[in-house]
Amino acid sequence: MRVSPIKGHARLSRWIGPASAWIAAAVVAAVCFFIVGHIVREGYAHVDWKFLTTDPDPSPAESTGGGVRIPIVGTTFLVLLSTLLTFPIALGAAVYLAEYMDERWAVTKAIRLGLEVLAGVPSVVFGMFGVAMFSHGVFTFMSSSGAEGSDVAFGRSFLVAATVMAIHVLPFVIKVMEEAIRSVPLSYRQGAAALGVTKWRAIRRIVLPAAAPGIATGVILGMGLAAGDTAIVWLTLGGTMNMAVDNWWALDQIVNVLRGTGSTLTTFIYFSSPAGEGNAPELAYGGAMVLILLVITLNAAATLIGRARRQTR
Amino acid sequence: MNESLRTPAPEADEAAMLLAELDRQMIRAERALERNTLIDVDNLEVRYGSNVVLRDVTFDVPANQITAFIGPSGCGKSTALRCFNRMNDEIRGFSMNGRIQLGGQDIYDPRVDVTELRRQVGMVFQHPNPFPMSIHENIALAVREHNPRISRDELDGVVEQALVHANLWDEVKDDLKRSALALSGGQQQRLCIARALAVRPTVIMLDEPCASLDPISTARIEELLLELVADYTIIIVTHNLAQARRISDDVAFFLMGRLLEFGDARRVFEDPLRRETADYVRGAYG
Repeated sequence: MRVSPIKGHARLSRWIGPASAWIAAAVVAAVCFFIVGHIVREGYAHVDWKFLTTDPDPSPAESTGGGVRIPIVGTTFLVLLSTLLTFPIALGAAVYLAEYMDERWAVTKAIRLGLEVLAGVPSVVFGMFGVAMFSHGVFTFMSSSGAEGSDVAFGRSFLVAATVMAIHVLPFVIKVMEEAIRSVPLSYRQGAAALGVTKWRAIRRIVLPAAAPGIATGVILGMGLAAGDTAIVWLTLGGTMNMAVDNWWALDQIVNVLRGTGSTLTTFIYFSSPAGEGNAPELAYGGAMVLILLVITLNAAATLIGRARRQTR
Repeated sequence: MNESLRTPAPEADEAAMLLAELDRQMIRAERALERNTLIDVDNLEVRYGSNVVLRDVTFDVPANQITAFIGPSGCGKSTALRCFNRMNDEIRGFSMNGRIQLGGQDIYDPRVDVTELRRQVGMVFQHPNPFPMSIHENIALAVREHNPRISRDELDGVVEQALVHANLWDEVKDDLKRSALALSGGQQQRLCIARALAVRPTVIMLDEPCASLDPISTARIEELLLELVADYTIIIVTHNLAQARRISDDVAFFLMGRLLEFGDARRVFEDPLRRETADYVRGAYG
């Protein structure tokens, strides 16, 4: 028997799918590399030890002065704080959604809808909400009080920004963690149940360790989102380039730092760039490069954690 | 003829039915005593939603014997097995009628602690499913669940004993910290048996335990079961008729949700009472 050769149009249609997928991927990669390359090219010259270790100097005349020490510290504070707030809530919610909830329950549908809506809200809305909410007198413990003798809080501080940021990243982190928990094979759960191991212990001792790489990915995704957001920081951390507390490294100042205003790399970029409110594009590019390196490092860490876990299995 | 004489009063009817039922239970109890019955299945019916997957199933599993469930795919044999440790409880739409007793205790009694039931009725699955942790921890996990205060040394002893009983000790004793997922399929399955043995069950159920194993691993598992039957009651679901013939004492043949034939393995294989059994046993279908 002779196998007939493939016809022209059939040959073409066989290529269209893979080719368009390849082109789309190439476009995405090209755009990404172009942006990163541009930022590195413009910022490279300004990123040196001095840039990293001096504080911003926001005088309009001296556009070349100042560095990103405070913004780096601010980004670190904000990311750590919001992760601290996000992690337990996201993990709990993910376990509940993946293991305990029945999709037919009204409460499940309500939670899912809530998460979807939350994920769709732009961060500037969260920022506005945050200031409005945390300016209320009962939240004076989270930020310095407003004017002397008033019962209104300032509504802008690391605590406020981290809380609002946590709400902003929560739906994304929950989604990733839930998927990670769901992807743990059912056979583990069945094996545990058949041994008379309670569901909670099986989750704690078997399912969660098995899902750990995915959970770590969720945490790091949340960190990346928090590090990269501008609107929330701009609105709820105070429109400044420096911190309210000068000696922020002093341990006894920790409460004041957390209740005080500050800046992060994103707001540094915003306040330096002519596209934002500043007049120092080279500083903005320098800050952008540092931020991108930070985010790439976080992503690499996520990949490495995942790979290390897989190898130990 | 006078109608009122022909039809007994409803009370009498009920009493007669009760008596008949009592009689039936007496006969079953006598038989159970005689056969040293451990699991007594009476008139079991199982539904998933409106779908009846088992009906009219009545038989008994004697202690310290191997009972094999055979039958073509979808006949309900795995469902029957999963009734004994209430693994079906987790399945949406599951409902059952009838009664299953383990050592005289109704296992579907609402007062029964399902966790404790599953400790007593161990189960090994078709595909080996060791947990993604060390060999030691695979066994220790469930032991600690049922005995939270066990000391480190005692625990090590239990782990060793379980591995010895499952004929796995010699192969793994030097590296108990190794991931269980690094073991071969046959070793993994023996680890799953060890895991079930470690919590001191009375019954060990195996749902096609050799389906994904090579012939040598299969032979080792069969040998192991023949050793274990001295101390445990074993129920095995198998597609492999030769296997059922080799190792089982009693055989239950299921077809389309009914128990068509039950009895001594040799008798069922060599002199089946029913046409369907004969056809299945000689390989006409399934």
